[in-house]
Amino acid sequence: MPDSQPNAVSVTINGTQIEAEAGELVIAAADRNGVHIPRFCYHERMSSVGMCRMCLVEVDTGRGPMLQPSCMISVTDGMIVDTESDQTKRAQEGILEFLLINHPLDCPVCDKGGECPLQDQTVAYGPGESRFIEEKRHYEKPIPISDLVHLDRERCILCDRCTRFADEVAGDPLIQFTERGNETQVLTFPNEPFSSYFSGNTVQICPVGALTAAPYRFKARPWDLEQVESTCTTCSVGCRVAVQSSRNELVRYLGVDIDPVNHGWLCDKGRFDFEAIKSPNRLETPLIRDPNDKDQLIETTWGAALAASADAIKEARSGKIGVIGGSRLTNEDAYAWAKLAGSVIGTNNVDAQLGDGLPGKVVLGLPGATIDEACSADTVLVIGPDLKEELPILHLRLRGAAKKKKVKVVEITPLQTGVSSYAHRSIVCRSGEAAKTLKSLLTSDDELSQEIRSGSVVVILGRSSLAESALPAIEVASVITEELPKAKFLVALRRGNVRGAIDMGLSPGLLPGRVPLENPNDEIKKIWAKVPTVEGLDTAGMLRAAADGQLDVLILVGADPLVDFPDQDLANRGLRGAKFVVAIDNFPTLSVANADVVLPATAYGEKGGTTTNIEGRVSRLAQLVTSPSAARDDWMIASELAWRLGGDLKFSSMEEIWSEIEQVAPSHNGITLEKIWADETRDGILITETSIQLAIEPSGETPVVDGYGLRLISGRKLYDAGTQTSNCASLSALAQDAELRVNPTELERLGIQDGSEVTIISTKATGVAIAIADESIPRGTAVLPFNNPGIRANLFINSELPVTDIRIETR
Amino acid sequence: MGYLDGFKITFGKLFEERVTTEYPKEKREKPDRFHGRHVLNRYEDGMEKCIGCELCAGVCPAKCIYVRGADNPEEAPVSPGERYGFVYEINYLRCIHCDLCVEACPTEAITESKLFEFSFDNRSDAIYTKDELVVDDQGLPQKQPWELWHVGDDLKTSGWMRATASSGNPAYENRVGWSGELGYGVREPERGQQFDESEPQNLDGKDDQD
Amino acid sequence: MADIYDLKQKLGLGDAGLAGLGHNIFTAPIEELVKWARRRSVMPATFGLACCAIEMMATGTAHYDMARYGMETFRASPRQADLMIVAGRVSQKMAPVLRQIYDQMMEPKWVISMGVCASSGGMFNNYAIVQGVDQIVPVDIYAPGCPPGPETLLHAILALHEKIRTGELTERRKSTGKGAGFELSHEHAPDAQPEPVIIRTGRR
Repeated sequence: MPDSQPNAVSVTINGTQIEAEAGELVIAAADRNGVHIPRFCYHERMSSVGMCRMCLVEVDTGRGPMLQPSCMISVTDGMIVDTESDQTKRAQEGILEFLLINHPLDCPVCDKGGECPLQDQTVAYGPGESRFIEEKRHYEKPIPISDLVHLDRERCILCDRCTRFADEVAGDPLIQFTERGNETQVLTFPNEPFSSYFSGNTVQICPVGALTAAPYRFKARPWDLEQVESTCTTCSVGCRVAVQSSRNELVRYLGVDIDPVNHGWLCDKGRFDFEAIKSPNRLETPLIRDPNDKDQLIETTWGAALAASADAIKEARSGKIGVIGGSRLTNEDAYAWAKLAGSVIGTNNVDAQLGDGLPGKVVLGLPGATIDEACSADTVLVIGPDLKEELPILHLRLRGAAKKKKVKVVEITPLQTGVSSYAHRSIVCRSGEAAKTLKSLLTSDDELSQEIRSGSVVVILGRSSLAESALPAIEVASVITEELPKAKFLVALRRGNVRGAIDMGLSPGLLPGRVPLENPNDEIKKIWAKVPTVEGLDTAGMLRAAADGQLDVLILVGADPLVDFPDQDLANRGLRGAKFVVAIDNFPTLSVANADVVLPATAYGEKGGTTTNIEGRVSRLAQLVTSPSAARDDWMIASELAWRLGGDLKFSSMEEIWSEIEQVAPSHNGITLEKIWADETRDGILITETSIQLAIEPSGETPVVDGYGLRLISGRKLYDAGTQTSNCASLSALAQDAELRVNPTELERLGIQDGSEVTIISTKATGVAIAIADESIPRGTAVLPFNNPGIRANLFINSELPVTDIRIETR
Repeated sequence: MGYLDGFKITFGKLFEERVTTEYPKEKREKPDRFHGRHVLNRYEDGMEKCIGCELCAGVCPAKCIYVRGADNPEEAPVSPGERYGFVYEINYLRCIHCDLCVEACPTEAITESKLFEFSFDNRSDAIYTKDELVVDDQGLPQKQPWELWHVGDDLKTSGWMRATASSGNPAYENRVGWSGELGYGVREPERGQQFDESEPQNLDGKDDQD
Repeated sequence: MADIYDLKQKLGLGDAGLAGLGHNIFTAPIEELVKWARRRSVMPATFGLACCAIEMMATGTAHYDMARYGMETFRASPRQADLMIVAGRVSQKMAPVLRQIYDQMMEPKWVISMGVCASSGGMFNNYAIVQGVDQIVPVDIYAPGCPPGPETLLHAILALHEKIRTGELTERRKSTGKGAGFELSHEHAPDAQPEPVIIRTGRR
């Protein structure tokens, strides 16, 4: 890795003179120039350790040629490297013979067999025969070191990649070398599993089959895999992945190294959630409410289901129709739905977010930053959700930058998060009062305040707690735009393609291409049959209107408001109040069960298209498998509905939709299909242009403190009872049961035993949970995960208020 | 008499021995290299040799083999080791009997027999599953209802070796690749091109293992 | 005229033609006789397309002597043949020709798909080769192998004889309920009632 030294040096590798940067490792310089040096322990995203000695090459720096590990020495001017000399070859053969002394001949049964660096390099550089005839070392065959990863110590060649990753990159140093000499082995600490959110990466970087992934174990062999490169849509970071299938079934995702986003890493949720796509719970056929028994849904045909939906939409009063959801969709799907709602149905009641994000106008109005900018800014202000739980790879990138002292991370949070461990300063404030805390920090004469003001600032902004409304986060934005006008924002929205959906106009007051509703561009007026003029309702507004009987038809496009909207009571009243509910989904969720018509949609990997990540980076998705059923793409459903409503969306393929987006959306102008599919845009195309003017009116209100209650803080966990996770066999087991965490002094004050059942009372509901004493929770607050198995936090939350206070009582 | 010359041949043939094999009653001797339908072998203790490694499926040019591995159940292992062949199917409407699967198999689990009688009146019969392919307790192939066996047809099922080494390396000629103590009916290897009459043949192959 | 019709009905020789024969106590042995006659003289049409044809020819030679089964000559004219042995790869361009030959054959007629290429495309899983001749003509017997040896083909012919012997006389499809490997079922008939799915809610 060049260490920002611009002065070039000249090196000769295998007789060819090349230019390298001073400080660059020999192996990296060779790689850049197409000379492959075999290696096991060297990984370009981690520090070099020189463990395996496989990369020995003959280096001459003027003192005659001698063998040197090329991953440990930097290039110097006039250096002569020979990677193919007899001496090098002998060294390589010797190293491989040594490595194979204890490596068992498991290749036929090993998951790595066929794509194993040890196998490949033994064939390419190995000695052919071994002189070793003694008994090999034996250990117990695979031991599960976590729920997702198995370790086979017999196969391990002690390259230090996994342990280095756990320590350096993931920050969970839970696996280590133990013992010495011939007994050296990788192990976890006793009774402590390798429970890292990033454990799957160790499987991918293991150069042998020592670490294998439980969900992939014996599922397929490399030669019967088909692969496409795609973008992960589990969260909105948009990691590049290689999606692999065998016999039309997804079996594995691998991280692909792209510089601006994921550096090759994936979180375990993103890596293993392919299981949901082949889950037997998938919706397969359209369902319709049984006319004879209103309590059940029965299978029907597409024609009947679409006709029923279209009839309901036709019968509805004008403008009394709402579309909730859209963040599961591709950009093309989202555009089709925005066009259906706007130009055919004629409503702006569209919202891709379920009251758990920030208003679309704020998202698009704030000056945007990229992940790279965040990782190279002087200060990063994190005011938002726990990045480790919600956007794990952003957390990983930020942690890497902080550890390398490239950025100073300052966090303002109501409770300790994953970021706190590497934050320069972690300021704990009361939930809902981050803006006040920030203002007092910036206006104080604290040294930190000066530092923040003097350098570049990137703010990672989001909802610190879903028990707060969006107001506190908007207040923070207004403080920052006032105090730090040059600061850039990275809006921490969680859902897969929420940014793309907002870009495509699935947010009230917006049109495709980041255009405000009040000021539509000419192209849209030309292409759309009609353009809505009245700003619509957001999800909370739609649910409220439906509950009051002011909305006739609710269309849920991959949305489950009963579980995801942070006010279950309102969601429930809304779904019951609407005359007709159409749900388009992959799984029978709670909201789907309450719909009148259910239409099955295709899932990830079953359709192509594009997606947009939190930075506004458009990258491509690829289709690999066919949907297991009669499911259809979301845009097809929109198109068909439009036709039945007497309109016409005028496209018949994903490509045609993109061409129309390219025309209609001013921010996407010039991004043609050819550009998207070009090799140079593998990293995605960053879109920064926006026509939205930021207008924030600070409310100035600070929430009233309820002296008797506890302020509820609720955030999402990586493994929760969400639809995707709960349909993955290996991930659903990892979701912990919901517990109410409270500071021990509060429990003492209330006379509640640690670990006992308590009654939670809020203005919305009463429920029972286990109370756990936790020192890390600030006094006066109570923490309940948003959607973990057991009790859901949205039962208690009142979305009308900026914060929610609860009381707890012994049972 | 020119036109009667032809009848001389016909007449002469009447007294020659008949060359016709009365097929269903008798079969012609099959050559050593004949490739019939496959069998999946077992070890002497009844464990299946197949470990579900899918190498046979990978090498198959007709893509007629479908294998899936699974974790060996600990209490009742199907094969030695971690993994066993959970699904094993051969579609005989695709198989071209090239024997590459036999050469690829690391455990000599799959070998070809000399059985050739399989005609089906529907496609699904042509897919032999593991239950049909795996040998019985005696290590002999299982008879399918449509097969017509004569005495001794089932005995030639196990590994044998070609005259030339599969890699083409003459150094490996005449070195028996299979372990003689496992399986049934091990046959003598063919003589290699470099065969030396004076050297004794080593059939169990134990000393030749690397 | 009416009397003759009644008599025909009684003898089982009504409009059902030969098919009516099997259900008549007097004519039952005639059915057996017809079947015997048919299976003892199954004249094959030549349809050698590739390597399998060599084995098919070998089956006709003295060593295997197909003539033992009363099928000594391969008929060049499909109108004189009862059995089509599709021996070899069927390319997409050959498919209509194959079908035409089949259509020109007289009933009763049978098809043996010889070799894996004819049966499923074999190792030629590509755009040029028909992936199974049963997409074009109904196949009675598949003889796998690459190529199947003469004895395998003889086994297939014997299997066909068995099929003729045990099958319905004229309506052979009826006996198995399937044509070329396809099974017809009436599960998805329009009048079938939809099965309720498990989702139950308290809504409405």
